[in-house]
Amino acid sequence: MLSEGKLRTLNDFIEKISKEELIWMNGYIAGLISATIPKETVSTSSLKKFTILYGTDTGNSKKLAIEFSGIGKKQGAKVKVAGMDTYKPEELAHEKNLVIILSTHGDGDPPPSSKKFFDYLMSSEVKYPNLEFAVLALGDTSYPMFCKAGEDVHEKLTQLGAQAIFPIQRCDLEYQSIASTWFQTYINSFPADEIETTLPIAPKINTGKKYYHGIIKTKINLNGRTANKETNHIEIKTEEPVMYEPGDALGIIPRNKKSVLEKIFTTVNVDPNLSVPYKGSGHTLLDIFTNRLNIAYLKESQVQKYAEIIGQSIPKVRMDLIDLLNIYPVSKPYQFIELIPSLTEILPRLYSICSSPQVRENEVHILVSKSTFVIDGEKRYGLCSEMLSDFEEGTELEFYIHKNKSFRLPSPETDIILIGPGTGMAPMRSFIEERDSSGASGRNWLIFGEQHFTSDFFYQSEIQQYASTGTLHHVDLAWSRDQKEKIYVQHRIAEKGKEIYEWIKQGAHIFISGTRSPMSEDVEKAMIDVIYAHSGKSAPESEAYWNELKESGIYKADVY
Amino acid sequence: MSVVLSQVEKIKMKSDGLRGTLSQSLEDNLTGAIREDDQSLIKHHGMYQQDDRDQRDERAQKKLEWLYSFMIRLRLPGGFLTPAQWIAMHHIAGEHSTGVIKITTRQTIQLHGILKSHLKPTLKDFAAQRLDSIAACGDVNRNVICSAHPKESKIHEEVFQYADKISTLALPKSNGYYEIWLDREPLLKKEDETDPLYQDRYLPRKFKIAIAIPPNNDVDVFTNDIGLIAIIENDKLKGFNISIGGGLGTTHGNKETYPRLGTVIGFTDTEEKTLKAIYEIMTVQRDHGNRGDRKQARLKYTIDKMGVDQFKAEVESRCGFKFEKERSYEFTERTDHFGWLQNHEGKWHYTLFIENGRIANEKVAFKTALYEIAQTGLANFRFTANQKLIVSDISQKNKKKIEEILYRYQIISHTEQATPMRRNAIACVAMNTCPLALAEGQRYLPTLVGKIEPLLAKYELLDDPISIRMTGCPNGCGRPYVAEIGLVGTSYGHYNLHLGGDRLGLRLNMKSYESVNEEQILSILDPLLQQYSVKKKEFSSFGDFIYQNPQLITKE
Ligand code: SRM
Ligand SMILES: Cc1cc2nc3c(=O)[nH]c(=O)nc-3n(C[C@H](O)[C@H](O)[C@H](O)COP(=O)(O)OP(=O)(O)OC[C@H]3O[C@@H](n4cnc5c(N)ncnc54)[C@H](O)[C@@H]3O)c2cc1C
Ligand SMILES: Cc1cc2nc3c(=O)[nH]c(=O)nc-3n(C[C@H](O)[C@H](O)[C@H](O)COP(=O)(O)O)c2cc1C
Ligand code: SF4
Repeated sequence: MLSEGKLRTLNDFIEKISKEELIWMNGYIAGLISATIPKETVSTSSLKKFTILYGTDTGNSKKLAIEFSGIGKKQGAKVKVAGMDTYKPEELAHEKNLVIILSTHGDGDPPPSSKKFFDYLMSSEVKYPNLEFAVLALGDTSYPMFCKAGEDVHEKLTQLGAQAIFPIQRCDLEYQSIASTWFQTYINSFPADEIETTLPIAPKINTGKKYYHGIIKTKINLNGRTANKETNHIEIKTEEPVMYEPGDALGIIPRNKKSVLEKIFTTVNVDPNLSVPYKGSGHTLLDIFTNRLNIAYLKESQVQKYAEIIGQSIPKVRMDLIDLLNIYPVSKPYQFIELIPSLTEILPRLYSICSSPQVRENEVHILVSKSTFVIDGEKRYGLCSEMLSDFEEGTELEFYIHKNKSFRLPSPETDIILIGPGTGMAPMRSFIEERDSSGASGRNWLIFGEQHFTSDFFYQSEIQQYASTGTLHHVDLAWSRDQKEKIYVQHRIAEKGKEIYEWIKQGAHIFISGTRSPMSEDVEKAMIDVIYAHSGKSAPESEAYWNELKESGIYKADVY
Repeated sequence: MSVVLSQVEKIKMKSDGLRGTLSQSLEDNLTGAIREDDQSLIKHHGMYQQDDRDQRDERAQKKLEWLYSFMIRLRLPGGFLTPAQWIAMHHIAGEHSTGVIKITTRQTIQLHGILKSHLKPTLKDFAAQRLDSIAACGDVNRNVICSAHPKESKIHEEVFQYADKISTLALPKSNGYYEIWLDREPLLKKEDETDPLYQDRYLPRKFKIAIAIPPNNDVDVFTNDIGLIAIIENDKLKGFNISIGGGLGTTHGNKETYPRLGTVIGFTDTEEKTLKAIYEIMTVQRDHGNRGDRKQARLKYTIDKMGVDQFKAEVESRCGFKFEKERSYEFTERTDHFGWLQNHEGKWHYTLFIENGRIANEKVAFKTALYEIAQTGLANFRFTANQKLIVSDISQKNKKKIEEILYRYQIISHTEQATPMRRNAIACVAMNTCPLALAEGQRYLPTLVGKIEPLLAKYELLDDPISIRMTGCPNGCGRPYVAEIGLVGTSYGHYNLHLGGDRLGLRLNMKSYESVNEEQILSILDPLLQQYSVKKKEFSSFGDFIYQNPQLITKE
C-alpha cells in the first residue's frame, strides 16, 4: 500500500525508536485516525470512568470539556464534567482519573473564576497517591507566561504524589485539532492489559498566529473638552480583509517608549547598539529593549534579582525599571546586562473590536481609553493605551485577532440586551453595526454609562441615528457624575427590571463588556435582584436561575 | 386681508396653551436639545435653546452632538430682588448654570449654560423664591421696566407698583408653565385657561413696555412698544403720557426694517384708564399686526402701516374713552447714579459699576461680595436698564456695614475709578451664546473703550459721559441706535459705526460708516473728538456736535 520510498523511510524511522515510543505512536496514530473518521465506528477499548475539570474565562476550555465528555461517553466511558468555579477541592481526594483543561490569563494567572480552586491546590499539602491525571493547558504563545497556570497545576499535582499519565499538553490559540488528538490519545491510553505507559513529551506544536499590518486611518478623542479622560476611537486600515467577527478583540504588542529607553541607557551608561545574545540569536540592546522586554512595573522577584546583582538590599516592591535604576544605580554597566535574563517579554494588550466586518471593508475600529495613574504625584500613562493614543494618523501597526467564540451574536431573531459602560461600548457598537446592516429582526437594547452626558457620550450621534431608525429599541444611559448621587448602569437595570425580566423570559441574550470589577459584579447582583423582584422566585432560586443563564451562554461577558 | 401665516404662528396655535411636546422633549435622554417646534414655544416660558458656537465643528468630529444648553431669563417687573432671593439666585447659578449672573438691558437677570436635565430643578428653585420666567421671552409682553433709582422721586414706589400691575395684566393665562416645569396638576376646568388677550395666537411679535420717571430716561422709554412717562406735579402722580411704536431691531440688507422711536399719543390720568389703554393697544396690535412676516410684525410697523391717527382712533374706540392731550415733562439725563445716594426717607442706595452686567468673580469678586451683602439681610437688590446694580434701601445705621464690604472687595474704588464713558457703556451678550451674533459684544467692548480712553485723555474729555453702545448684530439689544457712538456688528471684527445720537435717547443716530474695524474706528473718532473738544462749549454733547456738523462725516 505504501510507496517504495515511504515504506523505506518508515522502516528507517522505526529502527531508530524505542518500544515505548512505538506504543505511544500507536496511540497517537489511532488518535489521528479517530479525529478524522466518524466517532460511531471508533473501536472502544475497556474504559474506566474519569472526571474532566476545566478552568475557563472566555469559554474555550469549557467548550472542549463538554466536547470531550461527549466523545468519551460515546466510547462507553463514565464521564463527569465540572468547572473549577464550582468544584469542591475536597473531592480531589475521591478522584481516580482526572482530565484538567485549564487556560491561562492575566500575566500567567489562572482564569479569575478558577482562582479559588487554584489557590487552594497550590497551598494544599494533601497527598493524592491514587490520582492519575493529564493536563491540557490552553494559552497563547504571544504571552511570555505561555500556559503557566496549566504548568503550575501539573507540577503541583505531581508534587502531591499524583501520577501524570501524560506530560502536559500546551496549546496555542489554534488549539482545536491538537486538543482532539490529545484527548483521543488519552482515551486510547487506557490499557486493555497492563503496559505502563510513560510517554515522551508530545511535540509542542506552535501554530503560527496570523499577524496583520495596518495603518491608522483615523484617530479621534471622543471625549468633549470638559471630560476627565481621553478615549480614542481608532480606525485601522488594512490591505487584505481582516478575518474577525463581532465580539472578537484586537491583540497588540506595545513597544517601549524611546524617551524612556534613552534615559535608561544614559543612566546605566551602556551603548544601545551593543549586540547581545537573546533567545538564541544576536540583537542590539536597543532592539530587545524596544520590542521584546517589559520594563514597566517590574515584579517583586525581578526587583529582588536586580538587588542581588548590584549587591544592595531593596524593599519588596514593584516599580518601573527606569525608577529602579535611578534610585539604585548600577555600579558597573555589565550589571545592567546581567539583569536581562530575568526580564520577561512585553505582554500583548487586547482591545475589543468596535466595528462590523459587514460594514467596514478592510478596516478594524477600536476604542482605547488612555489609562492614567499617579506615582508619587507624577502623572503616568499605561504603556499600550498611551502608545495608541499618541499615534499620528498614518502610523503603521501590527496586530492579530483574538477570537472570542463565546461572545457572539445569537440568531438574528433573538432579542439582545447590551450592557457596555465605558469602553465596554466597543463590542456593542460592533454588534449594533452588524445587526443594523443585516437587518436582523431581533430587538436591541443598549445600556451605556459614563461620567458626564455632555463630554463622555461615546458615539452619541451614531446612537441617535440608530434610535431614530429603530435599530435600537431602547437606550438607557447612566451618568455617574451629573448629579449629587452616583448613578451607574446597574441602577438603570434595577429601574427597568420589570421590562428586562420580560425580555429575558422571551429569550433575550444579555451581553456585558467593560471593567470586570466592580462593574460586572454589580451588574450581576442587579440582575439577580431583578429576577427575584419580578419572577416570584425565592432568592436562592433567582440566583440559581441566573447561574443557568450564565451556564447556557445566554449571559455573555467580555470583561477585563 | 388674509396672509400666509408664518411657521411660528402655526406652532403657537396648535401648541395647546404653549405646552406643545415640551414634556416629551424633556424626557428624550439621547439629546440635550428639544424638538424644533418646542424651541419656539419654550421662549414663552422664558428660555432659549442655545449651543456653544465655539465648539460646533470640534464636537461633530467627536461624534458628539452640539453642546446644547439653555438660557433662562427671569420675569422681574421693575428689576427688584430681596436679599433672600439673591442668596437663592447665587446658589442656583452655581449649581445649574455657568455661574455668571447676567444683568440685562431690561432690568432682569439671565442664567446661561443650563443643561436640559437641569431646567426643571432650576425653575423649581426659582418658584421656591416666588420667582418665575413666564413670558420673559416670546410673542407676549416682556419684562416691564421702570426707572430704577428710588431716589428719583417720592412717588417712585407708587410708579414702581405699575410695573408689576402691567406685567400681571399681560400674563398668558395658560397653566402650562406650572404643569411642565413645576409638576403641578392641570387645572380642573380648561375654560379657566381661556385667554381673552392673547387668545390662542398670542401677539404677532415680542412686546415691550417701559415706565420712565422724568427727569431720568434711564429706561430709554422711546425704544419700547409702549412707553409710559410719569407726570408728576408737586410730588403727586397725575398720570402718564403714553408713547407707542418704539422698537430698534433691524436686519442688514432688509430696507423694510428700521429702528423707530415711540410717538406720544396722549395722556391718561387714572390707573384704570392707563391699564385699559395698554390692554387695548395690545389687542389692536394682536388683530392688525403682520402675522405673515416676522420682520414686519412689531408694533412700529403696524402703526406706520395704519397711520398713527387711525391706530390711535382704533385704540380709543376699544377703550371707550379718548386720550387727554399730552402733558409737559422734561428729561435731563439717561444715566445711572453711581455711588451713594440718599432718598427722601433717608434710605441709602449704592449703584455699582459692573461692566456689561456680568456678575462673576473675575477682576473684582462681585459674586462673593454681593453674596456677603445679601447675607447681612440689610440691603435689597435693584437692577437698572443699563445692566447695572443698586444695593438699596439701606438705613443710616447699616450704611457703614455695607460700605465696609463694598470697600473690602474694592468695589468702591472700581466704581469710582471707571471713566464716565466706561460706566455708561452698554454691550449685548453676543458671542459665544447668542445664535444671532455676527461679531463680539460684551467680550470686546471693554477692550475697545480701553483704546478710546487715551484719545479722551488727549483731548481732556475723560469726564464727558459720551454714550457708547455695541451690539453683535443689528437686532439692537444694547440699544446702539440711540447712543452717541453706536457700533453694530456686521461680521467678525467689523461694525457699522453710528454717530450723532443725542445723550437722552430722544433722537436716533445715523449710520455713518459701514463695516469698519478697530483701527478704522479709532482713526475716525480721533479727529472728531479733537474738534469736539475745541468747540465743546457750544454743544450739549458729542452727539449734538456731530448731528449739527454732518459734513464732518466723510464717506470715502
Ligand atoms: C440679554 C439681552 C441683551 C443684554 O446683553 O442685556 C438680549 C439678548 C438677546 N436678544 Fe435682545 N436682548 C436684550 C434686549 C433687547 C433690546 C433692548 C430693550 O428691549 O431695551 C432690544 C431692542 C429693542 C427692541 O426690541 O426693538 C432687543 C432686540 C432683539 C431682537 C430684535 C427684535 C426686532 O424687533 O427685530 C432680537 C431678535 C428677534 O427677536 O428675532 C433679539 C434676541 C435676542 C436673543 C434672545 C437672541 C435669540 O433670539 O436667540 C439674545 C440672547 C443672547 C444671550 O445669549 O443672552 N433681541 N433685545 C437683553 C435682554 C432684555 C430682557 O431682559 O428682556
Ligand atoms: C478581552 C479584553 C478586552 C479589552 N478591551 C478594551 C477596550 O475595548 N478598550 C480599552 O481601552 N481597553 C480594553 N482592554 C484593556 C486593555 O487590554 C489594556 O489592559 C489597557 O489598555 C491598559 O493597558 P496599558 O498598556 O495601557 O496599561 P499598562 O501599562 O498595562 O498598565 C495597566 C495598569 O497597571 C498599573 N501600572 C502600570 N505601571 C505601573 C507602575 N509603574 N506603578 C503602579 N502601577 C502601574 C496601573 O494601574 C495601570 O493602569 C481589554 C482587555 C481585555 C482582556
Ligand atoms: C487578558 C488575557 C490574558 C492572557 N494571558 C495569557 C498568558 O499569560 N499566557 C498564556 O499562555 N495565555 C494567555 N492568554 C490566552 C488564553 O489563555 C487563551 O485565549 C485561551 O484560549 C483562553 O481559554 P478560555 O476561553 O478557556 O479562558 C490570555 C488571554 C487573555 C484574554
Ligand atoms: S444684538 Fe444681536 S448679537 Fe447682541 S444679543 Fe442681541 S441678538 Fe445677540
